[in-house]
Amino acid sequence: METTSPVERLLRGIAITLVCLFFMFPIVWIVLMSFQTNETILRVPPSVIFAPTLENYTALITGKLETQAGTLDIDFMGNLWNSLFLSTASVAIGLILGVPAAYAFARLKFRGSEDIAFTLLSFRFAPPLLVLLPLTIYFQQLGLANTYGGLIWVYQLIVLPLILWIVRGYFEDIPADIEYAYRIAGHDFWSTFRRIALPLAGPGIAAAGLLSFIFAWNNFVFALVLASADKQPVTVGALAFVTASGIQYGQVAAGIVLSIAPTFALALYAQRYLVEGLSLGAVKG
Amino acid sequence: MTIQLSLKSVDKFYGPVGKGVHAVKDITMAVPKGDIIALLGSSGCGKTSTLRMIAGFEAVSRGTIELAGKQVQTLPPVRRNVAMAFEGYSLYPTVSVRDNIAFALKASRLAEAEVARRVGHVADMLEITDILDRFPFSISGGQQQRASLARALVRDADLHLLDEPMGQLEPQLRTLLRGRIKHYIKERGLTAILVTHDQTEANALADRIAVMEGGVLQQYGSPAEIKERPANLFTGTFVGEPPMNVFAATASVSGGTLTFDLTGGLDLRYAESAFDPRVRKMVLDRKQVMIGVRPYAVHRAEQGAAARVVANQWLGDQSHIAASFAGKTIVLVEHDRAHLTEGEPIKVEIKPQDLHIFDPTSGLALSHGNELAA
Amino acid sequence: MTITLKNIRKAFKTNTVLEDVSLSVATGETLVLFGPSGAGKTVLLRLIAGVIEPDAGEIHVNGQNMAGVEPEDRGIGMAFQNFALFPHMDAFANIAAPLTARHQSKAVMKDTVEKVARLLKIDHVLHHKPKELSNGQKQRTALARALSAAPSILLLDDPLRNVDAKLRFEMRLELPRLLKDQNATVIYVTQDYKEAMALGHRIAVMNDHGIQQIGTPQDIYLSPANTDIARLFGDPVITLLDVVPERRAGQVVALISDTAIPLLEDYAPQIGQACILGLRPEALRFVSEDTPGAIPVEVEAETPLNEKTVTLALTLRGREIMVSRPAGTPGPTSGRAHIAVDAASAILFDRASGRRIAPVHKIIRKEEVA
Repeated sequence: METTSPVERLLRGIAITLVCLFFMFPIVWIVLMSFQTNETILRVPPSVIFAPTLENYTALITGKLETQAGTLDIDFMGNLWNSLFLSTASVAIGLILGVPAAYAFARLKFRGSEDIAFTLLSFRFAPPLLVLLPLTIYFQQLGLANTYGGLIWVYQLIVLPLILWIVRGYFEDIPADIEYAYRIAGHDFWSTFRRIALPLAGPGIAAAGLLSFIFAWNNFVFALVLASADKQPVTVGALAFVTASGIQYGQVAAGIVLSIAPTFALALYAQRYLVEGLSLGAVKG
Repeated sequence: MTIQLSLKSVDKFYGPVGKGVHAVKDITMAVPKGDIIALLGSSGCGKTSTLRMIAGFEAVSRGTIELAGKQVQTLPPVRRNVAMAFEGYSLYPTVSVRDNIAFALKASRLAEAEVARRVGHVADMLEITDILDRFPFSISGGQQQRASLARALVRDADLHLLDEPMGQLEPQLRTLLRGRIKHYIKERGLTAILVTHDQTEANALADRIAVMEGGVLQQYGSPAEIKERPANLFTGTFVGEPPMNVFAATASVSGGTLTFDLTGGLDLRYAESAFDPRVRKMVLDRKQVMIGVRPYAVHRAEQGAAARVVANQWLGDQSHIAASFAGKTIVLVEHDRAHLTEGEPIKVEIKPQDLHIFDPTSGLALSHGNELAA
Repeated sequence: MTITLKNIRKAFKTNTVLEDVSLSVATGETLVLFGPSGAGKTVLLRLIAGVIEPDAGEIHVNGQNMAGVEPEDRGIGMAFQNFALFPHMDAFANIAAPLTARHQSKAVMKDTVEKVARLLKIDHVLHHKPKELSNGQKQRTALARALSAAPSILLLDDPLRNVDAKLRFEMRLELPRLLKDQNATVIYVTQDYKEAMALGHRIAVMNDHGIQQIGTPQDIYLSPANTDIARLFGDPVITLLDVVPERRAGQVVALISDTAIPLLEDYAPQIGQACILGLRPEALRFVSEDTPGAIPVEVEAETPLNEKTVTLALTLRGREIMVSRPAGTPGPTSGRAHIAVDAASAILFDRASGRRIAPVHKIIRKEEVA
């Protein structure tokens, strides 16, 4: 219901501004922090007026962390690369495995399909630590501990259920008649899957990919236990900022900005596909 | 005659006024109290937008809506005292069909016995008495639609809005319910607006039909008016089953004979005296006209214009015959079974009083039979 | 191409949809499957298309058993009720889909698509996506897609249901020619009896999980197998009155308003039995009081219906009778009136089973001649 009262419009504007401030504040504050030194950050009362500095970013990129106790070597850029590689590879493998599986669960109702699908989802319920302890032992025996392959495998626990359940819903929303029509037109099962089901579920696959990327990126526990310094993602690497001489707030903030940048960029890019949505105008009469 | 609802120069834009999609264009119409009005048009013609503006679910971009004597276009739906049956049913899923129907009555603190009586009555009429204690998810689409209709009709509102109220029903049931719903509305003196794309429904139920196309109100009149005096080519060809035959023609007169030369090398000849002088003058002044004739008014005759049968479809109670005629197809309807085969030559006759003449550019009606169009 | 179904059974979980359905369609024939929703018409089409498999029974196309043959290998064209266009492809790509599967050259494909598009008057919207098409254009695109590869079997699932009355009528006139030119064997599903009568060489009436009657439009309209079918064909609906035929003055008659309505002599075996008399509204006419066999009635209401005037009248015992006549012809609008029934057009049904009682005249007359 639209209304035209100017008072109401003003009130609505104020309300929206407040909500925006509330949600945006942490991010804006962190961005501001990343351009300050520890001293300006910690002064009381805090102020938004300061002389911006790039030293936090320089420190991160060069890997030399300046603290009062001296210079510390950190491998932040390496961590960032690890995060990027681990997340991308996990999502890619997750999509390759998960999308056809999601299609099978959506279309081919076989005996026990519901149970299997639910079991896969239930992996998300289990506390990760419960899985981790036995897993660590097995991984060490198998030589998978501290390898990219091992981490990517474990990451499937996060990525696969997510992709499976989101994409399955999108496949179910495609009217079966559209696929039947393509089959009857003379195309086999696989080309129907490729030419009809995949493009129509595209937005769902993009959404699932993005979401699972974010989840993989933000994972902490698996990497903490299963990866050592050279394979660590940023989430674990950030621990290095907690130094003997205190917490390097400025560098932490810069680290956060750098580590959310890829997901942020990805989200902005994928938004186009997410918003596009399923246009089923052809089906609804 | 009191006016219950009046729309004055109502516009609807989706997006900014003047720039967005202009869904409803400058509609002005008045609905007398106690009338049933049908908004008739194909999908996307603006009929549902109009209905939603009356109900208050869409903002009115321009113009005013007056209901029961007061302006309502800025009021929220709840304060308009309007009852609506939704095309998508929108039943409350957590309560039984009975409670769905009784919902508004209970809210208005009506005595329990009275609520039960009214619900029983409307349920009887719509043949849903046996499912009153079921829940919406457990009944069929047709039953949900009737429950939704009952929920709207049971109320004492200033206006009842029915959006495609019978689309999901089986044809046999639809015919039966049309009569009953009309009787129910008339008996209780309700004012109702029905949105439909089905002209049979509009003709059967409505006192007046508002034909819409492209957001524009094409014609607003009684079913008979719309059939006998279509305001323009759109209405003429949209309303009527089968649709009106239309041909482009050049009119000329010589030796007491008025000739319509059809663009397929055929002509229709009439004695000049068969036409009212004003109609004759109008036709001859314009020369280029569109002529329309209803399929029921095309007759086979000994003397007439030549045509060749392309299809003859017998529907039990009537025959629909299509014949190639003047480079196009002419359709004629006969009430008996016609024994014609494809390719058979026939002669067709169109009486002057059955001709509808339209302006070829604007499409506006110029004359109907021997009367000039208003 | 012939299509033969033998004893098809299909159930979804515990819900039986088709029970022992057998049917055969000849080459070039258009068979209409007609029936109320839920009668299993669409399921039957899908079984033939091969997108679902029957629980029992066989489907033969041109004598070849289709069991295990994938839908893409059956050489069928199909149009869906909801169009089922591919939303991410333009009209051209939609129509070309059956051709790409047959690996035809670009030029041949373009020619074929354009030809069928011209035929269906959608050649100007070939580069529009389905959501940019009007309902009528969508319907024509769906039909064009079904026709483009010139399949010898066409399955049309209520293709005119979602289009407006004007277009539906135009297509009803155009389709028979189009189908004839294709020389395809057609199975056409509809819920509209007029469409069924206009398009079908034969009509199969489906109800209660099976085919109840199969025959020409004339057979079905004039000799419906039971009261259900009689009620499904005809608008306004046929009047059904409970009667018990008896013999009066040497004639087989039924009583309506205490007036004896003569029936065919062939109904003599039904004398004294509980029957239902079916009277089509257009088979009744208003007559003057002194006409022999005129039934006195009370006129209740008069409504216009598609260029007809339908009169609802009550018999002396309060039974409803509908009479229709061409609009503009004279008739009573209220009060007492009289109607006459043509004996030959009255249909008699057995009251217990609802089945039509076939007049046995041919046999009897032959014996009389002998």
